Amino acid sequence: MSSDLDTQIQRLRRCELISEKEVHQLCDKACEILIQESNVQRIDAPVTICGDIHGQFHDLIELFRVGGECPETNYLFMGDFVDRGFYSVETFLLLLALKVRYPDRITLIRGNHESRQITQVYGFYDECMRKFGSVDVWRHCCDVFDYLTLAAVIDDRVLCVHGGLSPKITRLDQIHYIDRKQEVPHDGPMCDLLWSDPEDISGWASSPRGAGYLFGGDVAAMFLQVNDLHMIARAHQLVMEGYKSMFDDTVVTVWSAPNYCYRCGNVASILAFDDHLNKEVLFFTAATQDNASTLPSRAPALDYFL
Amino acid sequence: MSEAAVPANGIETGYYVPKRRILSQEDLKRFEASPVYADYMGFLEQLNQAVLDTPTRTECDRTPVIDHLVTLLDTLKQWCDEIQPDEHRTRFGNPAFRLWYDRLTERGPELLKGLVSDEAIPEVARYLQESFGNQERIDYGTGHEANFMAFLLCLKKLSLIRDEDARAVVLLVFFKYIEVMRHLQFSYWLEPAGSHGVWGLDDYHFLPFLFGSSQLRGHKHLRPKSIHNKDIIEEYAKDYMYLACIQFVNSVKTESLRWHSPMLDDISGVKTWDKVNQGMLKMYRAEVLGKLPIMQHFMFGSLLAFDGGSDRAEDEATCGDHAHVHALGQELPTCCGMRIPSAFGAAAAAQDATAATHARRLPFD
Repeated sequence: MSSDLDTQIQRLRRCELISEKEVHQLCDKACEILIQESNVQRIDAPVTICGDIHGQFHDLIELFRVGGECPETNYLFMGDFVDRGFYSVETFLLLLALKVRYPDRITLIRGNHESRQITQVYGFYDECMRKFGSVDVWRHCCDVFDYLTLAAVIDDRVLCVHGGLSPKITRLDQIHYIDRKQEVPHDGPMCDLLWSDPEDISGWASSPRGAGYLFGGDVAAMFLQVNDLHMIARAHQLVMEGYKSMFDDTVVTVWSAPNYCYRCGNVASILAFDDHLNKEVLFFTAATQDNASTLPSRAPALDYFL
Repeated sequence: MSEAAVPANGIETGYYVPKRRILSQEDLKRFEASPVYADYMGFLEQLNQAVLDTPTRTECDRTPVIDHLVTLLDTLKQWCDEIQPDEHRTRFGNPAFRLWYDRLTERGPELLKGLVSDEAIPEVARYLQESFGNQERIDYGTGHEANFMAFLLCLKKLSLIRDEDARAVVLLVFFKYIEVMRHLQFSYWLEPAGSHGVWGLDDYHFLPFLFGSSQLRGHKHLRPKSIHNKDIIEEYAKDYMYLACIQFVNSVKTESLRWHSPMLDDISGVKTWDKVNQGMLKMYRAEVLGKLPIMQHFMFGSLLAFDGGSDRAEDEATCGDHAHVHALGQELPTCCGMRIPSAFGAAAAAQDATAATHARRLPFD
């Protein structure tokens, strides 16, 4: 398996697709590994944490160039691997293959886009249909989404989650009670972890996104105190500078999709913790895409225009 | 009349504030077989035909109605200049858009005075109001674009737009509307509503590509593949909306068309503009009018009448027990957005537990 897997990783690194059968096997294997992970996965520093990727495959390769390759660098990805960009399939499968190959060197947390409903709207479904001509790959990937963990804690100090806090969760152990193996619900604690955003308010407010909540600095401070944590690291929101610190550096946003949607002009970042939990933010910009061999292949003419 | 049809201003005039009536796939099927669907598509095809082989700057007859509409749209654009975007930009789009929209809500009906009769204003103004995006979410999509077509169709039903005005409606009015939308999209960073990312035709629009491809039918040397030629785009964007759209998307997105808009890139491989235009019509039926997430927000009144749908598809008074099909990330009706009226807030909250069993709206990305 591992030599096959290494070959697959090599191909995926070149942004080449693997076969539908290989996807199926990879997803099955990934589920076996992910099911053993806790809802709040414990991770030891040093670790480098990353925010949204959104199918920007070449920027992910750039991320590895800046942060170091896996498994040499220990990685934590905080979700939103798919949708919007051009290479959600290759992006997710590469991360998944790395997870299967080096389960202790890379952690994948679920983002709000790792969902059947959302991916049908924001591109991943269309992309799978286009690249494989059937829904099977999309289905297998969605099955994996259901197994992805919801949060991670680094050295009992830093909580990592895709979106933010939930009014229904005051203690970390309440996250453990969630039955995560399901489609992301429309409300409730699991939904909030994937959808909420920090905001300069006090207390809680409804979110303009229509899911999750906005939470203020006081909420974050209380949560950190109760759970004896130092910081919450999360992704989920585009920050033009790639990295944003809020509430006296107790909540940080890490965004790892440079020039988001090929138009936002933003910088991206990853956040490296050394073994003493000292932080270093590494910034990067969009990979140049001048290599003709990496250009996406032309699809057959669309039915409407035949 | 059915109970969903409430007189626009409490006075019996025959006009009604339009309501949503498409709730289920069955409603949508009935809509697709309805006279109003045929009217809408007929109107679209008429406009499409009217700009066949016709550059944008072609002179066309301006009636007072056309002039009124152009002035109205210019006013909306001017408001956008007056209402500056907030300094504090977030990815939700710029909140100043809400002020612009407030003004539209407040003064929109006034702008219709002298164009349509006072009795018809509440009905017609409703479509106008929905044509520029969603106030809460600060987003815009093809559903809003369809509302502007519905607005124009109302004017046609009221005999204010005649068959011979079709060309002016596209070149002067609809293209002016696109100009206003570009202005709003730029100023307030309107988020694409339910965008398929790189996998859709365009982040915001559909119809400029439809009308735009018709404009190019029969053109002597411009071909679908000409969109890859920078010089051609620059030279001809002013006269061909399709090329103006390509120019726009190239200007807001980096990298090549093949990267950010693979669909447009694919279409450039189609042999003739006739094929492109026919494809656009088919695609519009399937991907816009045939999609529940979009059409569940489409409204019907006395001018665009449809009895086949569900009455409760929009009854804000029953917000507490609604079962809207809020699928797929499209704009929310106001009753399900953030501003649940306080009187119904508690009921809605109590409904939370059971609501999950119904089809629910999909939250905004």
